[in-house]
Amino acid sequence: MIERITLARTLPAVFAGCEKDAPVCFSELWLHDVELTRGQRYLIHAESGTGKSSLCSFIYGNRRDYHGRILFDGRDTRLLDIAGWCALRRRSLALLPQEMRLFPELTVMENIMLKNSLTDFRSEHEIAQMLDELEIGAKASSKAAILSIGQQQRVAIVRALCQPFDFLLLDEPVSHLDSRNNAAAAAMIEREAAAQGAAIVATSVGNHLALTDYTLIKL
Amino acid sequence: MNNSLVRRLLRRNVSAVQIAGYAFASLVGLAIVLTAIQFYRDASAVFGSDQGGVMQSDFLVVSKQIGITDRNTAFTPEEIAELEAQPWVNAVGAFTASRFKAVIGLEFAGRGLSSETFFESIPTHFFDHVPDDWYFDPAMGEEADVPIVLSRDYLSLYNFGFASSRGLPTLRESEIGMIPMTISVRGYDGRMARMRGHIAGFSSRINTIAVPEEFMRWANEHFAAPGAAYERPSRLVLEVNTPGDPEIARYMRRHSLDIAGDKMDNGTAAYFLRIVTAVVIGVGAVISILAFFILMLSIFLLLQKNREKLHQLMLLGYSPAQVARPYIALIAGVNTVVFVLAACATAIAARCWSSALVAIGVTPASIAPSLAIGAAIMAIVSAINIISVRRRVRKDF
Repeated sequence: MIERITLARTLPAVFAGCEKDAPVCFSELWLHDVELTRGQRYLIHAESGTGKSSLCSFIYGNRRDYHGRILFDGRDTRLLDIAGWCALRRRSLALLPQEMRLFPELTVMENIMLKNSLTDFRSEHEIAQMLDELEIGAKASSKAAILSIGQQQRVAIVRALCQPFDFLLLDEPVSHLDSRNNAAAAAMIEREAAAQGAAIVATSVGNHLALTDYTLIKL
Repeated sequence: MNNSLVRRLLRRNVSAVQIAGYAFASLVGLAIVLTAIQFYRDASAVFGSDQGGVMQSDFLVVSKQIGITDRNTAFTPEEIAELEAQPWVNAVGAFTASRFKAVIGLEFAGRGLSSETFFESIPTHFFDHVPDDWYFDPAMGEEADVPIVLSRDYLSLYNFGFASSRGLPTLRESEIGMIPMTISVRGYDGRMARMRGHIAGFSSRINTIAVPEEFMRWANEHFAAPGAAYERPSRLVLEVNTPGDPEIARYMRRHSLDIAGDKMDNGTAAYFLRIVTAVVIGVGAVISILAFFILMLSIFLLLQKNREKLHQLMLLGYSPAQVARPYIALIAGVNTVVFVLAACATAIAARCWSSALVAIGVTPASIAPSLAIGAAIMAIVSAINIISVRRRVRKDF
């Protein structure tokens, strides 16, 4: 279990040498010491190109091209090996990537089961209910390739929730959703995070995930 | 469910043509290698002498050529040491000749036969077949029974030359041991001993009338003239590890040594067989290596095509071992099929020539060792494939 994630003067390598320039000089996160705590909700607001997807990738162990340190409960994540990251991605860290990363040749249910059968976290019935809640239950047997971006976002949200987690990283989760679907998605995400006592870390360039209560961090 | 989903995802870009191409090339290569090995093993039984194959050692009996003026044919200790030092020599044994007069007497077919004779002895290690009763107890002295091993050629001489001209019955090897024999030994000083003896066996390797070394030592000590008991040997038996090696013939020529029988011709054929087999195995190995690279390239191309999928699966929490599994199963499956087919091809090929071997009285070698070599080759190839795939997948983590 991860109780807190510490970003210790973290800076994307691509911004090295531009510390005094925008956007780094205006950032409340880059080159600062920021602590994300389990059970809290964070909304990271940023303009395009300021590194919010990079931030998710750094925390998720997908990329290492940054300076400074990222610590899980005080332990430098650079010390984690592949097995360690695999275990965290099944038990402690859930990610919804901005580009969703669904497999277009698989159906909606198969895409979700690909994750769920790894964690064995939910029953197929529960997954069907969650799809219904986000109004895409009828698409369960459809290939992901034929879904709209908004529908893909909702499938990816359900998939991200099919595992135990301490931190749920959502990279622009509702960028293609209308306010009604946004509210439905936010309600589900908040409910599931609360059930696990987990933190929500959502990024946004404008269309914020409709969380009821959160800490805003400007990137 | 996740295993079948992962398999479905990752095998999507598998090129059946590429895999079939690899399987065919690998099958041809492995079948050539295994068939050549099996042929070599079978042919060794033909060319090898005394049950031993060309893979094993062979034995040569050597003596000095008798010169016009130099009639001394004894080997000096230095000459024996030089022979022992040759890389193709495993062991050198000296023939010890009898230094006393001996007469063999036989009661046979109602007639008494006797003949002056000689004896030689060599270390037991150099016998092709050691009879069960091949010993002499010096403590019993003249009361002991002396076993004799004869050259098989002598029996042929008797059966097909002597017996027919004298109206004597021909003899089988198994009957000869039952004929009672007396050995009369007379020393330089006229002292005589009369002993019992029997023919204990025949040798294809040793062209002499052989007695146990213990008897020779005892008899020479008791009956040879003083100083003659330990004369230098005139004939040597060599155990060579590379029969047919041209270097052996060169050495013999250089040192004016003769080799008994046609051993060198046989050895040369075996040596040629070895070279031909090596060439065929080499060709098979080259094809196998090329096939191996085809598979590696196919798999790497497949991994490259599926790189994004592999990465996505690992982002979901799949381990590199889990996502590599479908490729490993593919490699193991294809290589197993290739091995089984190559084994069948080798068995069929071996069957083709086995009847020819049986016809000339040679038992074909077991196919199991060749198949074991094939299994080992495929296991090594698969292991290298699998390790490479695992490394490649981990790079994409």
